[in-house]
Amino acid sequence: MRRFEFLGRFSRNRGALVGAVLILVVALMALLAPLFFPVDPLRIVGQPELWPGEDPDFPLGTDSLGRDMLSMIVHGARATLLIGLFASAVATLIGVSVGATAGYFGGWIDEIAMRAAELFQTIPNLIFVLTIVVILGSTLTNIVIAIGIVSWTPIARMTRAEFLSLRDREFVQACRAMGMGDLRIIVGEILPNALPPVIVLSSLVVAGAILFESAVSFLGLGDPNVASWGRLVGDGRLLIRSSWYICAIPGVAIMITVLCLNLIGDGLNDALNPKLRDR
Amino acid sequence: MAGELASPAASRRPTGGGSSRRIAALRLLRRRLIQAVPLMLGVVVINFCLIQMAPGSFLELMTAENQVSDPATIELLRKTYGLDDPVWLQLVKYIWALVQFDFGFSYRQNRPVIDAISDHLPATLLLMVSSITLALAVGVAAGVVASMKVRTFWDSLVSVAAMFFFAAPGFWLGIMLIVLFSVKLGWLPVGGMMTIGGVGGGATGAGGVLDVLHHLILPTLALGLFYAAIYTRVMRSSMLEVAQLDFVRTARAKGLSRNQVTIGHVLRNALLPVVTILGVQMGTVLAGSVVIESVFSWPGVGSLLFDSVSSRNYPVVLGIMVLGSLVVIAANIAVDLVYMWLDPRIEIR
Repeated sequence: MRRFEFLGRFSRNRGALVGAVLILVVALMALLAPLFFPVDPLRIVGQPELWPGEDPDFPLGTDSLGRDMLSMIVHGARATLLIGLFASAVATLIGVSVGATAGYFGGWIDEIAMRAAELFQTIPNLIFVLTIVVILGSTLTNIVIAIGIVSWTPIARMTRAEFLSLRDREFVQACRAMGMGDLRIIVGEILPNALPPVIVLSSLVVAGAILFESAVSFLGLGDPNVASWGRLVGDGRLLIRSSWYICAIPGVAIMITVLCLNLIGDGLNDALNPKLRDR
Repeated sequence: MAGELASPAASRRPTGGGSSRRIAALRLLRRRLIQAVPLMLGVVVINFCLIQMAPGSFLELMTAENQVSDPATIELLRKTYGLDDPVWLQLVKYIWALVQFDFGFSYRQNRPVIDAISDHLPATLLLMVSSITLALAVGVAAGVVASMKVRTFWDSLVSVAAMFFFAAPGFWLGIMLIVLFSVKLGWLPVGGMMTIGGVGGGATGAGGVLDVLHHLILPTLALGLFYAAIYTRVMRSSMLEVAQLDFVRTARAKGLSRNQVTIGHVLRNALLPVVTILGVQMGTVLAGSVVIESVFSWPGVGSLLFDSVSSRNYPVVLGIMVLGSLVVIAANIAVDLVYMWLDPRIEIR
């Protein structure tokens, strides 16, 4: 019953609904990429630098080497979405663990955790990501972890705030009185109540992670085996005088995806925190 | 009469006198500086450890590049750079050197790291300051307009623009701006910081300044519009929130016009969240400028970072991280002071 209410509130936000539908399309595209474009997207299939619409076989044109842009965009969706999701998962895992521990136990643990958060907010994030990736190697895993490491602080702060307000509620006191262990109270009792705003934030971190990854790949430090959207923009960079569409198209794809994720985040926020709806 | 219902940040409100505010500000400054010490220490330790994880030392690269194979020379170099010491000792030595503002030596440029960085830092700081200024000006103005015309065409227009710039990757926006304003229209330069052999004959003189400003426009837009979008959204909701508070109604009841109230009372209070976000994001702005610099061949810290990262010139990489964090901390302290000036209620927490 409550779930339907939630869905109703979410879908009343038209932007969020559009965002959700578009993201679903992008996700389906990513999942079904090998079905539509069974050929390796990085293979040369036509004449180089065909403008979109010039050849009906390549609706989005071809790049400087004669690779199908549409196929590269569709396959790139996989890399981009996966990196975004996993990086956000890493950030959420770190953020929730740190925030929950800090908020629940308080005292010096809280102090240390918040100083650590401040520390990671001080280090210029993208520079840190680039350094990690260069030092540990440009693999997908390293990029995901690096983005996770610089993105967890807002989630930790949010989780901590939720835990601070929940930890002395009656239901928690009841659990303590029953002799429940700290870990069980944190994970089983408080966390489910603290999650809604954290989920909203995580969806926004996915958007941020996609932007991070695209910047890393754009700078040529991405995984060389993965044609993510950021890398396509970087590849097309030298041809902006003759064929600027090679840069423009993957950038639009990034923008639409990030835009939709932000819209979904807003919608979730409205649906989960009805008090803030008119902001 | 003023009491509870007065605007908490009204400009001409008598506070406890100028001197006590100054003392409070100094106390805040001292506290922040003391807090900055462990923070800096953490930054140094984390980055130092990260760089220790790098496979192969820069010495190997250096000797390979210069085709040094004599073991005695290599041994001498190892000694010179202190690579035989245990890691913790190297760290302690590094921190001790940092305290004396010695960031180490860059063998590649054959000069102290701090010199290499300070050659590039001004360009980055210029880009950061101009982008933040643009973001604040556009963000605050757009946010105020949207909140005064809430639920009208203008409000929607501002919101849509903000959503667009909030989602567009800066480097891509930069390239698109180049395509439009440099390649197609030919109005603005493609990149660099000044015209090579152009008017003004260097960076001096009014011509030189104008030339730099001319080159600054596109990078500033590419970096600043993202933050302008954030400030617009924050400013709009903050204006709407403050406008509902009691002191605003009091000000209206006093007979002030709507515009007077908006500018003199609501605006100033609504700025507080924007200032908070500005402080939190200082590191992001610095990092973002690194990417934008690469798009526009802006001769800032970003270009130095790439050279150093690809040549494994780790003393410089470490130096950039440490100095970058220092800039962020300094900017944060400045933001705290601005915050205090905007809202006299805030004493030291």
